[in-house]
Amino acid sequence: MPHIQIYDPALCCSTGVCGVEVDQELVGFSADADWAKQNGAYLERFNLAQQPMAFAENPVVKAFLERSGAEALPLVLVDGEVALAGRYPSRTELTRWSGIASAEEKPQSGCCGGNNSCR
Amino acid sequence: MTQLKFLSQAPRFLFFTGKGGVGKTSIACATAVHLAEAGQQVLLVSTDPASNVGQVFGISIGNQITAIPRIAGLAALEIDPQAAAQAYRDRIVGPVRGVLPDAVVKGIEEQLSGACTTEIAAFDEFTALLIDSAMTAGYGHIVFDTAPTGHTIRLLQLPGAWSGFLEEGKGDASCLGPLAGLEKQRGQYKAAVAALADPKRSRLILVARAQLSTLREVARTHEELDAIGLSRQYLVINGILPQAEAAQDPLATAICQREQLALATMPAVLEALPCDLIELKPFNVLGLEALRQLLTTTTATPHTEAITPAIQTPNLSTLVDDIAINGHGLVMLMGKGGVGKTTLAAAVAVDLAQRGLPVLLTTSDPAAHLGETLVGVLDNLTVSRIDPHTETERYRQHVLETKGAKLDTQGRALLEEDLRSPCTEEIAVFQAFSRIIREAGKKFVVMDTAPTGHTLLLLDATGAYHREVARQMASGIHYLTPMMQLQDSKQTKVLLVTLAETTPVLEAANLQADLRRAGIEPWAWVINNSVAAATVHSPLLRQRAANELREINAVAHQHAKRYAVVPLLQDEPVGVGKLLEMTRPPLRKP
Repeated sequence: MPHIQIYDPALCCSTGVCGVEVDQELVGFSADADWAKQNGAYLERFNLAQQPMAFAENPVVKAFLERSGAEALPLVLVDGEVALAGRYPSRTELTRWSGIASAEEKPQSGCCGGNNSCR
Repeated sequence: MTQLKFLSQAPRFLFFTGKGGVGKTSIACATAVHLAEAGQQVLLVSTDPASNVGQVFGISIGNQITAIPRIAGLAALEIDPQAAAQAYRDRIVGPVRGVLPDAVVKGIEEQLSGACTTEIAAFDEFTALLIDSAMTAGYGHIVFDTAPTGHTIRLLQLPGAWSGFLEEGKGDASCLGPLAGLEKQRGQYKAAVAALADPKRSRLILVARAQLSTLREVARTHEELDAIGLSRQYLVINGILPQAEAAQDPLATAICQREQLALATMPAVLEALPCDLIELKPFNVLGLEALRQLLTTTTATPHTEAITPAIQTPNLSTLVDDIAINGHGLVMLMGKGGVGKTTLAAAVAVDLAQRGLPVLLTTSDPAAHLGETLVGVLDNLTVSRIDPHTETERYRQHVLETKGAKLDTQGRALLEEDLRSPCTEEIAVFQAFSRIIREAGKKFVVMDTAPTGHTLLLLDATGAYHREVARQMASGIHYLTPMMQLQDSKQTKVLLVTLAETTPVLEAANLQADLRRAGIEPWAWVINNSVAAATVHSPLLRQRAANELREINAVAHQHAKRYAVVPLLQDEPVGVGKLLEMTRPPLRKP
């Protein structure tokens, strides 16, 4: 089972409602991540404000932060390699990476399936 | 003393809650002394950032259990919530400092500098005292001079919030916020919350003053705690001026009348609670003897012919002189609830308008009473309103209906909980705020509300301003970010409002530190409702005036670049004439 790791930016809370505006992508992704896990995906999330050690200990993530800074997050690793940066994955992408059955796929959450095209 | 309801059949845990300056610490100390002298083993715990428990007993206490000399069975402990929050931040940030880029580390620290973090870190500290442990086993009573807020308790109750984080130590999608860095086990928090909610073990005592605004605030606290099952509360109204003081002193008479009116029109939800009244004492509540007397009824202090004349201090109008020079700009009055920001904002606005300058007064006064009395009174004065409750509710509903629309029940519950955090109100009010401050380029905008430095830093960091700026640029308007505008002392003057009492001055100093972190330098301090700046006969008021001098001194010499003192007034300052009296007090004949 491929290992998906998502490195979130520093957030007071992971839905982001404590920030200046609620990020629809974030709210939607939280639901997608839950769904993927319930369907057997091996998925972990790390919040920079809460688990910065997870960022520091991973050389790929650390180098990414040094080069691009925290504003370039989120960063998604699949089996330790960079799969995506700067946006959250869609439900389709999660399904593909994790190899879980896509038959159960439901309508995607988020205003545009998380692919950012309508923002 | 035994007739006081909140002391009758006291359970093991006693919590005193109320806003700064109402006398929680004094009453908590007096309660602890009373219980110890009745033969109990008592631990007194202070989590007040301005804790003066040590001062009250004349010893130094600090962060370890210390026996109080001369009172058998009494020990005390001071928990500093700021230090607790700092320790919490260090625990999270310390290991990555120097490992991750400095800018990244700084961003994390700012995220962890909010009110929520401090709240949770303090609760973490006293969770250990609420659960059964060897450390507290010997104490029959544990008395706290503060209580966790409804928001903290709800966070800790939230069942979904715990899955993942504390059991696996892993991040999850849930909206836990500051809970993630906590050290203790889930079971301990659960036990602590259960102890809090059990009236056989815990009693929550709301402490207030006989003032309409304070009582309204206490009613809100009551409803919030009631909603999460902490319904059996007691009410203590502290510092009531005895009727006997009214003789020969017009100011004392006016205060008595005002207090009696506030008590008579108390919010209905409070009327149902067991209530005790404690009279204002002619002495400072320091030392054992004073503590013993605090909970007794006063014997009237004999009147003498002596009077205390008003001290000479700069008045508010001298500050307005300097503000007026620019002809336009933003004036923000900041400070904790109940210090009189709304009234002072109105007074500054009226004083400016009286000089023929164009002024917009924006108030967050929930009653909107003051603003209404000024509508149409002066040609060049306009009045608008930001109601924090309305703004917050609108923001919450908007987020739930749009961003929360597709969430399942649990996801929605978590989002709803996040929207009840203290940050939410700040953000919602900020949005209304930034709309209004644009007016300050053409006229004076006087506001009784402002975002905290923490909010500004967070908002600035998230880049929201820059998006806003870009939008403005596109439409061709020259624009500054609110942050830039607030940092420029030529455009913006922040007036910190406080009272001449220990805790309010300390709270204002903390606010100043918070603003400085955001690069905003408060321009002046205003000490409101000062008895020392009035002329008084009443022995009690003369004592209060004497007590104020130390605080006024501290503001003048330690905290403020410039300051003004506004005397306690006989009448509620409603209308232009009365408001002008606040900035330019008439010379009162003794």
